Amino acid sequence: MSWKRLLPPVVLLLVWQGLSVSGVIPEYKLPSPLAVAAGLLDLIRTGMPPGHQLHVHIYYSVQRVLWGYALALLVAVPLGILMGWSKTIRNLIEPLVEMIRPVPPLAWIPIAILWFGIGSKSAAFIIFLGAFFPILLNTIGGVHSIDPVLIEAARMLNANRRFIFLKVLIPGAIPSILTGMRIGIGIGWMTLVAAEFTGVKQGYGLGYMIMTARDIQRSDEIIAGMVVIGLIGLGIDACLRLTEKQLVKWR
Amino acid sequence: MKPLITAVMLFTLIAMFGTDTWAQSSAPPIRMAYLQSDIHHLALWVALEKGLFKKNGAEVEVKGVFKAGPEIMTAFAAGELDMAYVGEAPSTTAVANKAAKVVVVSQVNTEGSALVVAKKNSNINNLTDLQGKTVAVPGHSTVQDFLLRRALRNNGMAPEQVNIFVLKPPEMIGALRIGQIDAFIAWEPYPSKADTLSVGRNLATSKEMWPGHPCCVLVSDQGFINSHPEMVAAVVKSHVQATDYIHRNPDESVKIGVKYTGMDEATVRQAVQNVTYTYELSIQGEKEYVQFLSELGYIHLDNPDGFVDQFINPDILKGILSQ
Repeated sequence: MSWKRLLPPVVLLLVWQGLSVSGVIPEYKLPSPLAVAAGLLDLIRTGMPPGHQLHVHIYYSVQRVLWGYALALLVAVPLGILMGWSKTIRNLIEPLVEMIRPVPPLAWIPIAILWFGIGSKSAAFIIFLGAFFPILLNTIGGVHSIDPVLIEAARMLNANRRFIFLKVLIPGAIPSILTGMRIGIGIGWMTLVAAEFTGVKQGYGLGYMIMTARDIQRSDEIIAGMVVIGLIGLGIDACLRLTEKQLVKWR
Repeated sequence: MKPLITAVMLFTLIAMFGTDTWAQSSAPPIRMAYLQSDIHHLALWVALEKGLFKKNGAEVEVKGVFKAGPEIMTAFAAGELDMAYVGEAPSTTAVANKAAKVVVVSQVNTEGSALVVAKKNSNINNLTDLQGKTVAVPGHSTVQDFLLRRALRNNGMAPEQVNIFVLKPPEMIGALRIGQIDAFIAWEPYPSKADTLSVGRNLATSKEMWPGHPCCVLVSDQGFINSHPEMVAAVVKSHVQATDYIHRNPDESVKIGVKYTGMDEATVRQAVQNVTYTYELSIQGEKEYVQFLSELGYIHLDNPDGFVDQFINPDILKGILSQ
């Protein structure tokens, strides 16, 4: 990373701090970067609500995301490959998918509470919904993007359907599936925070932590929480990019 | 050059953010807020229904109906409200943490909350039975959160022994019905509603938990008091008249309560019984709030007594009562 990439955020932080110190931005509307840093320290040491420390909030949130996301992967990837492979299956399932897809995951919250209760299962279900569709659509797209010449060539070489499916279709679709996975985890992570806003029985979660900071009127901790959410999102995306590089070396 | 341009653009954006011009409170109507279905705020509804504000020369517009006190405080911080009926605990927290600049000008009620457990199949018969159970509160640093933690302490328990989490009151009865929570504490009429629906029963009323505890107050933005003292006085006067009206016309008041809460008459009638409507301010009660919120680590004050003096302004109310 070159120094030029770091320049805009550093300039932004300096200008922000300057405006706060000079009183142009009132503290209660937007705390200064230093106040946010102090808030972050408070979140780590004391926690919000007091006694509920940051690392436990992160643990619960990440756990919910992993459950929802893993479930979305397990269902969406095989279904996407089948839908890309067979026109009959696609025609059967597509209308249903297209009907559910435009419904925002958050609109499911009241129903999720009825089905799964208040807490981790509900949140995981909302994340599942958020991550499912991007993965599904990209998987179908990935299967379709495979050059028919490749499949023809495999047939010419006397490959059976099973061989074509495993050795041509799936590897060919992987780049697109990985793109879907990256979009899916992004949306899943965003929905998680909102899903936790409505309350979680476990009393832990980054979204819940931000809501509590609002209740106790600590805007420094609200922004510190947002920074943590952003950084974790960045970390997850970096991991997936790395996986992408490892898996699709031929590109 | 590019980073510089970005910085200049961001600077402009932030400067816009910082200017307080949007937040300036303009001339009347007075922008008022209250809590959804909170029977404590009956005096406001009576004053609106009976045209008391107009009679006293104040134009009041209901700017928002909120689900919990901290949300009202955020609206004050955003400059969206002039006055509100709201809990004393969230107001104290917001002012102590410098989020909103509001001042208490009158009491609204004392007591009027209850801790509710499931009517059937609940083996919780006293507060110590709550150990390890899940209890919903309307928000951290609400009056109810405060009452619960205080009652637990008085029964020799630490708040950590109970799983306390936030759920908005409209969702509490449903959650108790399907066994998602073991108990909830909320303002009336939710406890009465749980009873009339045969979902819950009172484990303890807030009257039993802390007799005569202050609950909701009438607050005003400090800037609004400075710029429109006569308007604030007119609202306080209407509030005093409305409170007297509730005591003189209980049946008519119940009808107004039914209209504003959207709940049935039996529930509202029962709920009103558990609330003490009064405009008398309690400095001692506020001192207890400040002390306890400090112990919880919600607020940090260098001079708690000085804070209480600033936070409660009894002069407007005194002026009206001496008329």
